Parts: sequence; structure tokens; C-alpha cells
Amino acid sequence: MSVDNKDREVILSIRHVDISFDTGHKKKLVAVKDATFDIYKGETFALVGESGSGKTTLGRAILRINPCSAGEILFEGKRISGKISREEDRNVVRSIQMIFQDPAASLNERATIEYCVSEGLYNFHLYKDERDRIAKVDKALQDVGLLPEHKSRYPHEFSGGQRQRVGIARAMIMDPKFIVADEPISALDVSIRAQVLNLMNKLKAEKNLTYLFIAHDLSVVRFIADRIAVIHLGEIVEIADSETLFKFPIHPYTVSLLSTVPMPDPIVERTRRHIVYDPSRLDQSGAPRTMREIRPGHFVLATDKEYVGYEERIAGMEAKLLK
Amino acid sequence: MSIRNTKIQDVNLFEFADFDELQSEHIAAPRYSYWKSVWRTFFKNKFTVAVAALLLIIIIFALIQPMYSGYSPILTPNINNAEMKFLKPSAEHIFGTDHVGNEVFDAVWAGARNSIIISFVCTFINMIVGIPIGALWGFSKKMDKWMIEVYNIVSNIPFLLLAMILSYVLGAGMKSLIITMTCTEWIFVAYFIRTQVMIIRDREYNMASKCLGTRTWTMIVKNILPYLISVIMTYVSRQIPSLISYEVFLSYMGLGLGTTNASLGRTISLYTSYMNGYPHLFWIPVGVLALISISLYIVGQKLADAADPRTHI
Repeated sequence: MSVDNKDREVILSIRHVDISFDTGHKKKLVAVKDATFDIYKGETFALVGESGSGKTTLGRAILRINPCSAGEILFEGKRISGKISREEDRNVVRSIQMIFQDPAASLNERATIEYCVSEGLYNFHLYKDERDRIAKVDKALQDVGLLPEHKSRYPHEFSGGQRQRVGIARAMIMDPKFIVADEPISALDVSIRAQVLNLMNKLKAEKNLTYLFIAHDLSVVRFIADRIAVIHLGEIVEIADSETLFKFPIHPYTVSLLSTVPMPDPIVERTRRHIVYDPSRLDQSGAPRTMREIRPGHFVLATDKEYVGYEERIAGMEAKLLK
Repeated sequence: MSIRNTKIQDVNLFEFADFDELQSEHIAAPRYSYWKSVWRTFFKNKFTVAVAALLLIIIIFALIQPMYSGYSPILTPNINNAEMKFLKPSAEHIFGTDHVGNEVFDAVWAGARNSIIISFVCTFINMIVGIPIGALWGFSKKMDKWMIEVYNIVSNIPFLLLAMILSYVLGAGMKSLIITMTCTEWIFVAYFIRTQVMIIRDREYNMASKCLGTRTWTMIVKNILPYLISVIMTYVSRQIPSLISYEVFLSYMGLGLGTTNASLGRTISLYTSYMNGYPHLFWIPVGVLALISISLYIVGQKLADAADPRTHI
């Protein structure tokens, strides 16, 4: 581990968060179980998992859309989950913004781009006068590579990539500190994915942002994320910085997930083997699983018995790499 | 050797074009305006325009004609003149005359005027009350819990019973009829809107608005209602004719306007007894009623279709 996380400033902290939904039956649907991690200021933290694993649910809990049934979420040291005062709620709304997955569904089709982008400005009255508001909207549109003349257009007149950039502009105009990006590029054409990712990176550097990047596409995550958490069936199974995770995947689920990433090299791709995740090979004794720090900054969900096995594996991998 | 030479010469024929990235963001399509597109779609259909023109003529005529005729059911100047009774439609008496020697033409338009005014006023009140309440009802889960009980109770009150009680309490007349047709009717509008709001309430763009801190009321006005214009118009286009029918029905039952006011319902109920001997007395007011209802319905439906942006292409 090259980075020592101990000295870094934590911006968002998720502590033992459970999120469950009423299904109408006695049994509740638990979407997220005992999630715990910190996100440091200025980093891009990726949450990776298959569909239905609870990654979006967790992202929405940060935005206070889904209530937590247990645990708490701290933003800049202050609790933002559960009941908070109206003033704090407004503050959280301003500081934490979201970029949505589907650019077609997340814009109001009956409003002009001008209204879509200035919606946040209206709500918090973040402008001095009309001229100031127009200037801010123009600036926000230009920041994402759109033209001021687009203000009077409607969302349906734009391409997917342009719409997603409108979505980004609308989040950025609020001057947020933290952004939850919920699969921001998975609904986009492959040819413009890189454009949107580069734009997000550019804005991050300019505005000193922190991202929680929710994705299922590992090749994208490797490109954009500093640290990665792997979530499986509502449980976070492994957290590490992205280099480490790709070099030393420990949890069998992570290993399996990484084995599904297609390689752009045809020779390597031909020899790539998909490892199927088999949960029955885990420790079945019923011992409690906890997050353990196997290497500094590298956490894995394991029982005592599994931990011993993981320790052996990681030592083996390290030794192999040293040779 | 020769190939290389040609290449060098050709290079001079070309020059590098500038690539302006912003140019690719430009939208060449003409500007879109919602209401302009609505009117354009509406007026594109000749049949719709014809029906709308007919409706406009009928409404204006019904509003103006009674002012000149001064018709009132209690005025019967020709009651002792047997020659003026039960005349067939002719050039002099366009719709003929009735059992007391009054012009059917005057009676029908005076009745149509009251029926149209009542149905428009009632629809307006029902919408003004029903839409905001329904929108809030659809948004708030807390409000839904008790509003649904109120709805269950109100919707189980028999309408005729309510109309009878109210006509006893308030007496006959325009005002009491409007009260009868609005005091419970708005909750059906509200319930309809509630269901529509619930359908689009949790769509992603509403969640996005919530993330931007938009308040419920702004969300209703900016995000929800614009999507419902078409549905609301459909509802209005059914409500106006149905309220005209209600008015006719109540007046026919003797619960509507009193004997002093002209009304299509009273006219029809009065003339029903002469249906065998003088069928025109019955069929003319019924025909006018049908013409008003159907044209209102058609125009409303076409307007609702035009208000749907999917038809704007």
C-alpha cells in the first residue's frame, strides 16, 4: 500500500447501514446489509456489483431518498440519515448532488433546458437577479461543452450524450461537494462514454469534487476510480484501492467478477477463463462474517476460517509478484 | 518514383479544414414550442375545425339569442290563441310552436343557454378544486390514508338522494343546482388526478427534482401537471357533456331549475307528453342537446390528442 488513508479527510462515512423495504409480507426485503466504509475528500470511490446487489439503493440512501433502517451516514462529520432538521436537510441537498443513469428519463421533458439547469438555483435562490441566473446557466452549459443557445430547447431535441451533460450541468450549478454518479454512462453509446467520463474527471479537478461512482462495468471503474468497493447481494465483500483490487483480488466474488472483464487484446482474451462464483465453497459453519483489514487499506469480508485462507492466498500472490 | 511525385503535387491541392467541436453541438431543427405545436396539430384536421366552428356558433348563438327573444317559461302571451298552438316548423316559426303557443326555437335556445352555463361553471369549479387537491393527494402518502376514506364515504352517497335533499334544503334555482353538481363531484376529479399523479410521481425526473431540493408544490406545477394536460383535457371533454346530461336529467326529474327558468331538461320533460301527436316538439330539443354534447366531446377529445406531444411529429 502506497497511500496511507489514515491522514486523509473523510467527507462521507457510512456506518453499519442496513436498508430494507416493506414487501407487504412479514418478511422484509433487505437490500443492503451492514455497509461500512469511508469516502475521502477528493477521491473517486466506486461501488461495483451486479444488478440487484443494492448499489443504487445505497447511493440513494446518501441522498436521503431511501431511509436507512439501521446504522447512520455521516457527511462532513454530521449525521444525515434519519430525522434531521430542515436547515440541515437543505444543506445536504445543496452539497450532495446526483447524476442519474438514464438521461432520457431524468430530465423533465416538458421543461426547457434553461428551467432544467436553473431548477436548483430557483430552489435555493442562488442568484442575484435574472441576468446573474442566465449567466450562471450559460456558464454551466459551457462547462459541459454545450452552447448557451440550447437554453430554449427541450430535452427531447438532444442526443443521449448531450442530455447526460445537461444532467451534469444541473448538478454542477449547485456547487456541490459530493456527487453520487449512478451508472452515469451505462445508458450511453460507447462512442461518447469516454467523453462523459473525461468531462466528469475535468470537473472533478476544477471544482475539487468527490465522487461516489456506482457501476457494474469494471473496465470503466478501473479508469475512473481511486478506490473500489465490491458489493454482492447487499453485502460489501471487499474494499481496496483500484490498483490493489485488480492486482490482489481476495474475495472469491471479486475474483469471479474480475474474470468477466473482457480484454481488448485478442491473444489474452482467448485465454481468459471465466471463474464462476460458487458461494458453497465459502465457510459454511455459520460463523459471523466481519470486515477485516487484510493489508493496510484492503478490507475483505470473512469469517475467521476464511481469513486464514485469504491471508495465505494474498501472501502467495505477493510472493509470485516479487519473483 | 512517379507515384511519389504525384503525391507531393496533390498535397498542395488540399488544405487542412478546421474542426470546430462546438459546431457538432448545434441543433439545426427549428425551435419547438409546446402550445404552438398543440394548435398546429389541432387545426391540421379539417373535420375537427368544422366541428369546433359549429360548436362555437352554437355556444355564441345560445348565449346571445335568448337576450333578444326574452323567452321565459312563465310568459305565455299566446295561450288563448288556438291558432298559434302546435304549429309545425316553417319559415316563420323555425322550430314550430308548443302547447301554449310559444316559439320552440326561443325555448330551446334559452334552455341550451342555461344548460351550457351550468355545465361550464360546474366543470370549472370541479377542476379548480379537484386538480390541486388530487395532485397533493397523489403526492402525500399521509393525506392518501384519510382522503381515501373520505372518498369511499362520499362516493357511496347516492347522487339522486343528495340532489333531492339539496333541492329541498336550498330550493330550486341555478345556484342550488350548481352546488348540487359540485359538492361531491370534485372528489371524483381529485381521485382521478390522484391516480394519474401516482403513476408519474416516482419517475426518475421527479426524483432528480427532489435531489435538487424542489418543493412538492413546484414539482406539481412544473413536473406533474404539464404531463397531465392531455389527460385532464380528455376528462374535461367528458365532464362537460355529462354535466349537461345531469342537468337535463335533474330538471326532467323536477329537481333542477325551477319553473321560472328555461332549461333543456325542463323543455324536454314538458314536451314528452306531446311526443305522439307532435314529435317535433320532443325531437328538436333532444337533437340540439345531442349536437351540443357530441360536438363538445369531439372537440375536447381532439384537443386532448393535440395536447399530447407524441402527436407533434
